[in-house]
Amino acid sequence: MSNEIIDGILEGLRLIFKFDPEVWGIIEVSFRVSLTSTFLAALVALPIGSFIGLRKFKGKKEVTNLINTFMGFPPVVMGLVVYLLLSRNGPLGDLGLLYSTTAMIIAQFLLAVPIIMGTAKAAIESVDPALKETVLSLGANERQLWWELIKNSKKSIIAGFLVAFGQAISEVGAVMIVGGNIRWETRTFTTSIVLETRMGEFGMAIALGIILISIAFIVNYGLTRLQTRVL
Amino acid sequence: MALINVRNLEKEFYKADKSVVEVLRNINFTVNKGECFVIIGPNGSGKTTLLRIIGLLDFPTQGQILFHKKDLAKLARKEKVIFRRKFSFVRQKPVVRDATVFNNIAYGLKVRGVKYDNYSKIVKDLIEFIGLKGMEDKNARSLSGGEMQRVAIAMNFIINPEVYLLDEVSANLDPMNLKLLEEFIMKIKQDNEKTIIMSTHDPLEAIKYADRIAVLNNGQIIQIGTPNDVFTTPKDEFTALFVGYENILHGIAKLDSKTGLSQIQVNKLTITASSQQEGEVKVCIRPESIGIVKEPAKETSYRNTFRGLIENIRELGNICHLIVRCQSEKFLVTITELSRKNLGLDINSEVFINFKATDVKIL
Repeated sequence: MSNEIIDGILEGLRLIFKFDPEVWGIIEVSFRVSLTSTFLAALVALPIGSFIGLRKFKGKKEVTNLINTFMGFPPVVMGLVVYLLLSRNGPLGDLGLLYSTTAMIIAQFLLAVPIIMGTAKAAIESVDPALKETVLSLGANERQLWWELIKNSKKSIIAGFLVAFGQAISEVGAVMIVGGNIRWETRTFTTSIVLETRMGEFGMAIALGIILISIAFIVNYGLTRLQTRVL
Repeated sequence: MALINVRNLEKEFYKADKSVVEVLRNINFTVNKGECFVIIGPNGSGKTTLLRIIGLLDFPTQGQILFHKKDLAKLARKEKVIFRRKFSFVRQKPVVRDATVFNNIAYGLKVRGVKYDNYSKIVKDLIEFIGLKGMEDKNARSLSGGEMQRVAIAMNFIINPEVYLLDEVSANLDPMNLKLLEEFIMKIKQDNEKTIIMSTHDPLEAIKYADRIAVLNNGQIIQIGTPNDVFTTPKDEFTALFVGYENILHGIAKLDSKTGLSQIQVNKLTITASSQQEGEVKVCIRPESIGIVKEPAKETSYRNTFRGLIENIRELGNICHLIVRCQSEKFLVTITELSRKNLGLDINSEVFINFKATDVKIL
């Protein structure tokens, strides 16, 4: 057994550094899907989240609860929901998107939106109220205030983005269900690790695992740097 | 001409346990154009809340604030910005934006749509005026506390609003910043188009700047008047204490028909006051109005002379506070440290205190 592990690690390193086309294909798909979904989610969630943070309105508490609930939405269930929507008999079945990277982007997008929205809202709300009032009393209108608050909470907002990305790239349930784990097309780190492990191809699984852990490390390193350094 | 008219203003806050705290009650006053209106009161009296409501940073629970024929309490979101831009709100604790000194000071003009070419010179001149030349491109948050305060003052004064709201601005200022602030305030006061509403807990500051003073205690306005009105004829015990009458005694006044003066019986002491009041009264005497001698003068213009013992001495640098017990009453007397030494006064010295009937205020 211990031989298997060592062999697996060696094989993994060999695959990474020999630029095995299949490994790099998987890397490409994973990054394309997760980055696209996170960026699109940011595009939608940042304005809405920061706006919710900015304004006081009736039902804000309920909206907050809703966002918080969806922040911890189980990816597998999200996969199921998107699957049902996109499957041939589903309401969006005619689009023929099931088992495509687009379907994976949709699922990850839906998972990332509440995370980015929730962190953006919390970030805006956590800005020193004295600064908010100073900016207001200096004559800023709502849009100018909003921009000022965004600038002041950029650290937390970027952190939210990184968390959403980290969650997207390491998530397995949703992409497995809606992507179908098709070789060369919709196979990602996580889905292929599942597959290779089951087939006993530990080399491939370990190679992908190492890359995935490295990404997690880089993202976390970035987060820590953010928190300790002035941007 | 009344510029701001506050009517029946009330403000309640809800505490975490849902109980209601009344912060302001039945507030009524007008502020005239070009006036310096000073709201004076102790910490927690509601001064800041009142200024925040006028400055549209908070809203009243009830009541009206009429300004330019509009009720500030009932403005739509968009109107609020328009009206807020007629005010400048200087806070007790300055806050600067995470930006350069130049951009901080220019911010108020920038958000009003003034173009860079039109404000850059004004901003640079102002930076020079506040003594921060050469620091234009430094982040304002990296400045020292005093420098940051100067930036905050400049940020608010460059806007050139109709009304300046100054919330305890001189608290925590070092002498240099205090002088700068004074220059700014005096400049505004000279301009009859500009109105100042400021809050303070410092009676001397109120005298210095105020055209009129409103005394606020416990969320209610107790008295409004010229500084002279408020300081010489305080309306109640609190005001008297707050503006500096520190000796306040309770007694029964009777009118002496021969002299036309009131004789107030305070336990065993009879105090003469130049007033015509009768009945239950409060007697106020400023500590600095009381003289102290070792032997009673034979001929004196003081109508009140009492024998007493020095119970306590508080030294406060050049001056000292003496607590003198005369019968059952205690008097606070301030004299200079020098005259205390010359008179050889110590704890348990027997002394005579004296004060004029005209220095006794009856409430």
